[in-house]
Amino acid sequence: MPKIAFITRSGETRAVDVALGTSVMQTTVDNDVPGMVGECAGSAMCATCHCLADAQAFPALPPIDENEDAMLDATASERTAQSRLGCQLIVTEDLEGLIVQLPDRQI
Amino acid sequence: MPAEAQEMTAETVDFEKMWHDPYPLFKHLRANNPVAWVPQANHFMVTRFDDIVHVERNQDIFRSLEPRSLVHKVMGHSFMRKDGDAQLAERKIVFPSFSPAAAKKIWAEKFRLIATDLLDQIEGKGKADLFVDYATPMAARCLCEVTGLTNVDWRDIARWSQAMMDAVQNYAGDAEIARLGREASDGIDAAIDEMIGARRADEDKSLLAMMAAGGMPLDSVRANLKVIIGGGQNEPRDANAGLIWALLSNPDQLAAVRADDALWMRGFEEYVRWISPIGMYPRTVDKPAELGGVMLQPDDRLFLLVGSANRDEAKFEQADIFDLHREKKQHLAFGSGPHFCAGAWVARMQVANIAVPMLFARLKGLTLDEDDPVRCGGWAFRGVLNLPVRWDH
Repeated sequence: MPKIAFITRSGETRAVDVALGTSVMQTTVDNDVPGMVGECAGSAMCATCHCLADAQAFPALPPIDENEDAMLDATASERTAQSRLGCQLIVTEDLEGLIVQLPDRQI
Repeated sequence: MPAEAQEMTAETVDFEKMWHDPYPLFKHLRANNPVAWVPQANHFMVTRFDDIVHVERNQDIFRSLEPRSLVHKVMGHSFMRKDGDAQLAERKIVFPSFSPAAAKKIWAEKFRLIATDLLDQIEGKGKADLFVDYATPMAARCLCEVTGLTNVDWRDIARWSQAMMDAVQNYAGDAEIARLGREASDGIDAAIDEMIGARRADEDKSLLAMMAAGGMPLDSVRANLKVIIGGGQNEPRDANAGLIWALLSNPDQLAAVRADDALWMRGFEEYVRWISPIGMYPRTVDKPAELGGVMLQPDDRLFLLVGSANRDEAKFEQADIFDLHREKKQHLAFGSGPHFCAGAWVARMQVANIAVPMLFARLKGLTLDEDDPVRCGGWAFRGVLNLPVRWDH
């Protein structure tokens, strides 16, 4: 199981072993990592699982599709070049060591 | 399953009383019987926030599919009552009409023109019922644009929506209500047949254009548009009129909003938490499960009372008060889980960014008409029933 590190709003780092095929959003919910809401449970409709992940360091991250791009324009914390929706990041072996930063606000 | 799983206990519910004010009953149920078997309704009433979120996160246990439901009979098999991939596939097709980007780049300008026209019509009058003269035509005319049914008069959209909403709550089987529901459904089918060939996705982002381009089967197009008309008319109408009423009733909060544009959206979210336009939606148990200490069996039916969850004292302080300054938090007015309201972003644009701020900017000295008090009604769907106001002219 790949290990992913979450940097929470308070600056704490939490490393979590993630089952393959699970989304980053679901991982935070299942492991009580604070900082995501995931209102729509992964349908890419609510923009409340916003996170920052470095695509240059992790080329294996899936590309941002049109839907995700539209939703990222509606996040509560400002969008940056690293912004992603946690529900659209499905964990593969290649994401071992991924660092996910959680933003100030989701709502 | 916890050992203390309780016997299910029955609640007798006075539906008439509940229509006038459901909140005392909701409070009682949350405290004493949060998953209450209600024999008259043949449903369990689920009233706590966390229990509803749990149901919505476990679609494999609690399903949306329910062929016995009135919604299914009145509107057909829409994506609101499908689960898993079947729902997602149809949802993907309509997303380009409903995305935040569509709300901003496509609909905002059209919605502004509609609001301007409505305000032009009433500004000189000095008094109006804003429920009738503003919130209702605003929602209906916006809906003609978003659906692509620009061949339909907005009054028909408003009437059909209400007729279908009445028919899906027609538990007593009233023949006239059922007939009006069928008439609405037939009217929408005819309007779709007339327009679907004319809508092209390369030219517009209306729902009909997206559905045609996405190859959605005609049965699904019809059922989905009926659900969208049902939810896209009464709900933004009620949020629009309700938010205006809440602000006029709380002058200090209105003053705060006038001083800070970002607060219109806070006010909107707080209004739909406080009096959720959709106060209830149903689910069906698919596998034996425990919920709130009660054992449920397959085919048991649940009313998820989000109107109650949004006032859950475990989640919100002083939940019975409209307070747009309260801490920002998740509420369930748009649902949660895979069926999270598809139209949420378009509704926010229509009401919070356009209709309400434009109204307050145009009508100077706006006040509630004290001779004619505002009334509220409903529990499955709840909102103001009138909104008589006066202003300087």
